[in-house]
Amino acid sequence: MSATPNHTANKRIGIVRIFQRFTVGQRWEHLLALLSITVLLLTGLPQKYRLATWSHNLLSTPERLQFVQQVHRIAAIVLTLEVIYHLANAFYLLARRNLPGDMLPTLKDLKDAWQMVKYLTFFSNKKPLFGKYNFEQKFTYWFMFIAIGIMVVTGFIIWFPEFFNRLLPGGIIPAAKLAHSTEAIVIGIFVFIWHVYHVHIERLNLSIFTGWLNENDMHTYHELEYQHLTGESSETSDQGESQ
Amino acid sequence: MVFQRRSRRRALLVAGLLVVFAFIVVSQVTLAGPSSQAQPVATPTLSPLSIGDDTCLECHGQPGLTLPLENGDLLELYINPADFNNSIHGRLGYACVQCHRTVGEYPHPPYISSDLRAASLDLYQACRGCHEQQYALAQDSVHSRALAEGKREAAICTDCHTAHAVRPLKDQATGELLTDAHAWIPQTCAQCHSAIYEKYKESVHGSALLEAGNPDVPTCIDCHGVHNIEDPTVASFRLKSPQICARCHTDEERMAKYGLSTEVLNTYVADFHGTTVTLFEKISPDAETNKPVCYDCHGIHDIKATDDPEKGLQVKENLLIRCQFCHPDATINFPDSWLSHYIPSPENNPIVYYVNQFYKFFIPGVVGGMAILVALDLSKLVRMRYQRMRELEVKPEQVEPVQSESADEPAGEEDQHDDLS
Repeated sequence: MSATPNHTANKRIGIVRIFQRFTVGQRWEHLLALLSITVLLLTGLPQKYRLATWSHNLLSTPERLQFVQQVHRIAAIVLTLEVIYHLANAFYLLARRNLPGDMLPTLKDLKDAWQMVKYLTFFSNKKPLFGKYNFEQKFTYWFMFIAIGIMVVTGFIIWFPEFFNRLLPGGIIPAAKLAHSTEAIVIGIFVFIWHVYHVHIERLNLSIFTGWLNENDMHTYHELEYQHLTGESSETSDQGESQ
Repeated sequence: MVFQRRSRRRALLVAGLLVVFAFIVVSQVTLAGPSSQAQPVATPTLSPLSIGDDTCLECHGQPGLTLPLENGDLLELYINPADFNNSIHGRLGYACVQCHRTVGEYPHPPYISSDLRAASLDLYQACRGCHEQQYALAQDSVHSRALAEGKREAAICTDCHTAHAVRPLKDQATGELLTDAHAWIPQTCAQCHSAIYEKYKESVHGSALLEAGNPDVPTCIDCHGVHNIEDPTVASFRLKSPQICARCHTDEERMAKYGLSTEVLNTYVADFHGTTVTLFEKISPDAETNKPVCYDCHGIHDIKATDDPEKGLQVKENLLIRCQFCHPDATINFPDSWLSHYIPSPENNPIVYYVNQFYKFFIPGVVGGMAILVALDLSKLVRMRYQRMRELEVKPEQVEPVQSESADEPAGEEDQHDDLS
């Protein structure tokens, strides 16, 4: 376990190679999602917990209730447009055979997750090596993908109940309302426990805002992607193959 | 000497004045005392029972006795003795003069009034003598307000209770409404509110009362109040109306008799329509809201049983009409989007039930899973950092010269690579 002299020298002088991780478009998408979901949670949760005293000041009069609902709907439209763009972009890239498959879940993710659990519970001292996105990041993406999907669909159902009831049975309205309001809690918990932990507490990872990751982090957290991008076989490559 | 004599004279004068003053004060006190206690009765006032009803009925028991008023109206002065004796006042032995205190001796002082209504408005003040509490309550009523605004036809005591044939309404012992009195109430209100009475008569409540004499159902006063009858057209009445219905409809004992659910209020409040109404009622009771209250769907006075084959809300088309008041684009599937006061179950509202069941397991699963992973990860992280700190503490002693050159970072990095292995 010895760092190559070359590598150590780079460190001393302070040359840090950085790797692009997200495109400008992806960074904007994240920012839009972040802002709209924040506004949606802030205006939605008081509506869910209307009988709690903390929401009373916000929603005590018809005018305020209407205002909060309008803000919620505007934020909902922003998020919906973002979802449409995201899907359209994915289909566009897919049509051009250009969609990067990094985010697709694979069997390796399951193995990685299992290995990670073993590692964390001290049954193994081998930490899995990750590609561009580790299984936790993929989980985050797909969890939010499905959750936002549920929120957008149910949100529009309860926004335009008369329209949706032309085709669908009446029961879907209260079901959509229940799902919308409960899924919001799931999203809130997920973002606060899972996402905030991984990008702030475990380590501060601002790559979604800056767009890049430095060499050290690439090595540590995305070894396989590092190898893929540089063609360099780093000191841990042999272990990577052994998994 | 001169000085001495003058001062003695002044002292005498002062003493004399003091005596006079004292006399005046004492005489005032002695005069005032007995005179206030033993004031002689100059003109004896009418003792209430000094004139018996018989005296009055000598004239007022004659049919056809009238008094022409200024506008030509004839004020009926005939009293049917039987009617009065049957009234609550007659039975309890009250005398004419206890209410008619201003008529004085015979011949009566002249009574002048512009018309019949003016006479009633003048004479009903007599009720106040004994029933001050009810009178005060009535002052807060929509009727009193209308009267103050100049609507002379607005109900006063005697319009509902009559002047002379006042019926007993309550059981004197229990204070409960008499069985018969239940039906009298809507009939009394119907004197003015006849259109509403027609609706009420056909309603599930009204028909039970008027046809079957069922005392469980509400009459007018149960919802509108007795003397302090509120204006039911204001926003605050609308907002609190669900609580009025709930008084009976959450009463287990009463609802059990008819197989009705007492969850109607809970399920209403749990839905967003009801939540909004309940919240506004508590926080801004005067807020105007278009959210439905009980009577928007069930009807105001023409409330029907929900299983009424013609107009009951269990017939989807009937409920749809109600939905369309606010949701004009609603179609036949739409009424099902309201849970119909049912708590979701596999039989009622199954979609909602299964969505709820899903989240019951999904949320603890997600939260639990994430919490475990995060906790494991965090504990590992903390352990690693702690280990590294200890290694750093040990290292400087062993390889002191190297430490100054390579700083902390490479050492830390090496440890990170150790983690990976």
